[in-house]
Amino acid sequence: MLGLLVLASQARADAKISDLRAALDGDRVLASFNLTGGIDARLARRIDSGLPTSILYELELHKDRKRWYDNRLDRSTLEVMAVHDAVARTYSVHLKLDGELIESRTVRDREALEAAMTRIDKVPVFTLGGGTPRGRLLIKVRAGLGSRTILSFIPAAIHTEWKDSNKFRYPGRPSP
Amino acid sequence: MRLRDRLGRHLRNQRVLLGGLAALLLLFTPLFYMSQRGRDLPAALVANRVLLFVLWYVNVILILVVAFVLLRNLIKLLVERRHRILGSNFKFKLVATYVGLSLIPVLVLFFIATELLQGSIDRWFNTPLAPVLARGSLVAQAFYDRVEGTAFRDASRALGEVAEIDLERSAERPRLTRRLQELLAELDLDLLAVYEGNDLVSAVLDSQSGISSLPNPGRDFLEEAAREGRAVRRDAPAGGVPGRLVLAAVSEPPGPVIVVAGTLLDPLVARETDQIVRDFQSYQQLEVQKDDLRASHLLLFLMVTLLILLGSSWAGLYLAKRVTVPIQALAEGTRAISGGDLGHRVDVEADDELGVLIESFNRMTEELESNKEALERSNRELVEAQRLAAWNEAARRIAHEIKNPLTPIRLSAERMLRKHQQGDPGLGKTVEEGVEIIIREVMTLSAMVDEFSRYARMPRPRPTQVDLSRLVGDTLSLYRDLKPGVELAAEVEDGASPALIDGEQVRRALINLLDNAVEATEAPGRVTVSARRENRNGGHLEIRVADTGRGIPPSSRDKLFLPYYSTKGRGTGLGLAIVHRIVTDHNGSIRVEDNEPRGTVFTMELPGEQG
Repeated sequence: MLGLLVLASQARADAKISDLRAALDGDRVLASFNLTGGIDARLARRIDSGLPTSILYELELHKDRKRWYDNRLDRSTLEVMAVHDAVARTYSVHLKLDGELIESRTVRDREALEAAMTRIDKVPVFTLGGGTPRGRLLIKVRAGLGSRTILSFIPAAIHTEWKDSNKFRYPGRPSP
Repeated sequence: MRLRDRLGRHLRNQRVLLGGLAALLLLFTPLFYMSQRGRDLPAALVANRVLLFVLWYVNVILILVVAFVLLRNLIKLLVERRHRILGSNFKFKLVATYVGLSLIPVLVLFFIATELLQGSIDRWFNTPLAPVLARGSLVAQAFYDRVEGTAFRDASRALGEVAEIDLERSAERPRLTRRLQELLAELDLDLLAVYEGNDLVSAVLDSQSGISSLPNPGRDFLEEAAREGRAVRRDAPAGGVPGRLVLAAVSEPPGPVIVVAGTLLDPLVARETDQIVRDFQSYQQLEVQKDDLRASHLLLFLMVTLLILLGSSWAGLYLAKRVTVPIQALAEGTRAISGGDLGHRVDVEADDELGVLIESFNRMTEELESNKEALERSNRELVEAQRLAAWNEAARRIAHEIKNPLTPIRLSAERMLRKHQQGDPGLGKTVEEGVEIIIREVMTLSAMVDEFSRYARMPRPRPTQVDLSRLVGDTLSLYRDLKPGVELAAEVEDGASPALIDGEQVRRALINLLDNAVEATEAPGRVTVSARRENRNGGHLEIRVADTGRGIPPSSRDKLFLPYYSTKGRGTGLGLAIVHRIVTDHNGSIRVEDNEPRGTVFTMELPGEQG
């Protein structure tokens, strides 16, 4: 019963992660992806109201396994938060990786805002090292789009489906 | 119960009650505090997603706990009812009443309060406030648009003028500044500045405006203007700028020259305009959080309801238990006592009238037990005394019975001796008569001794299938025409035969009973032997010998089956003792009652396995 009630508090979003690509920059794993249909009317209303509104991207680094579940190696969260200033007619967009601010910018129109919140381009999300196993790696991403209520009182977190990136190999650190 | 125990229990109960009250107080104080503080808390916090989820999971846990408590007790009660445990029905009704009395009003209150809350929240957002604020915000934005439009137009005009001046030549700079001063005055601007890329070329300020230093428009702003051909900004009051400043920048891409025109708004107008926009935004925030706000209030209501429900259910069950457990224990005690277990005591703690009832019950059972022991002791003594009296009587009777034949023996012997001493010629005849008497009396003595001996060595019964109807008929035929005017009858039901009994022993018992019955019945009278079985499938066998004789006084009935006891004043007194022994050897019982309208009935009951 507890499981059913907990399951009831999860909701599937119509939005989806697309064009997910993982690339290596030395030891860093860069993630690029788009969130299609992420800012719907509900989220747009919330942003326009001036409330700080976040899209929370959950990222997981996995070791690919062919005939079994992939092995998760690391996880991180990328939060894109927008705050609208109705007087100044600007949107402040803050990008935080695991709670640490990595970028802030101000945009003036909805299109730019949507791009800033839903297009992630080559953001370093993981750092590989000596402990990274050999073999094929991939990253998995899903977006958390806030919550809504079911039957007026059951809160339900809205998530997209998990999306897998291309597989890549980590050659290891070059010898000094 | 001792005073100390009572006092201890009283204090324990007090502690339980005080503990419960303290727990309720502890529970409701933070809830009350939260509800009071909740009014001052920002809506964003009340509708916070984390708070919502925490409240939801707390409610889920509470729902599970309430369901567990209620279901566990319900199942226990149903199991007790199914097993017909004494007092379970009463317990079920009491618990159902207690729980129902708390459950129904709490749930009704919850649903009414929920509906009221939902209605209230909907009404708050259905007021005409929303369109008023929206229109106010639109007007404010239109005002800003107009100011920005004017600033753009002025900046464009200035850009046209600046284009005629060669900015590369430093000799033209004073001319540029002059022209900017003229345009500032002409266009009623507060700030006019010319940039080449990100570099300031020249700027002029209206000395009347209150702007003490040139605000930095910022690299992003200038780059946007260079890239897009125009950019606009609404700066809040900051160091050197006393009010809201609208900056409009224009350029002619890809040219590097950018002209920025600034208009400082009237502080009062700017402040009120900003406030209108902010008020509308605050309202939008409330509206956006309406669902979350409603959910958080509902969840708080639900949590309080569940807590009350849990508390009241628990209290109901506890109170029901305090009433039903002593009553159940008393009912079980009553059953044990009625089953003969007088040592049973009710060992359950209870207060008030129930405690008094348990005390009385235990006192009553103690008294019953001691009375029973005294009664048993008296009975034993009585039986012992009766046995002693019976033995005395038996000794007297045996002495009497032995004495009776001894007297004629002695007299015969004396007579023979006297005739012999007198030399009486009739001695031979006297000896003949005397020896005859002696032999007869000795035989009487011998028969009597045999009778006693038979009683003492009576064998165990050897049951066989016996035709009871025939046995009764044969036995009755011995007494046929023995006493004129006394009618003999046999009434043996079909189901009574065959009977698994020792036929010889039962025949002897019947003869002994019939001896007494026929002897006690005067003509006209009737002696009836009847037999029947309780049911045809192995029920116990009942054989009755009824007469219409003089009856047996109740005072004699207790000793009737004792050996050597007789109401007739003659005989061995073994007849009924032998009947009793035969019946008990068959694992049966015998009782004696008055016959209606007169006489006596002896009823032998032989068990089914035997019968």
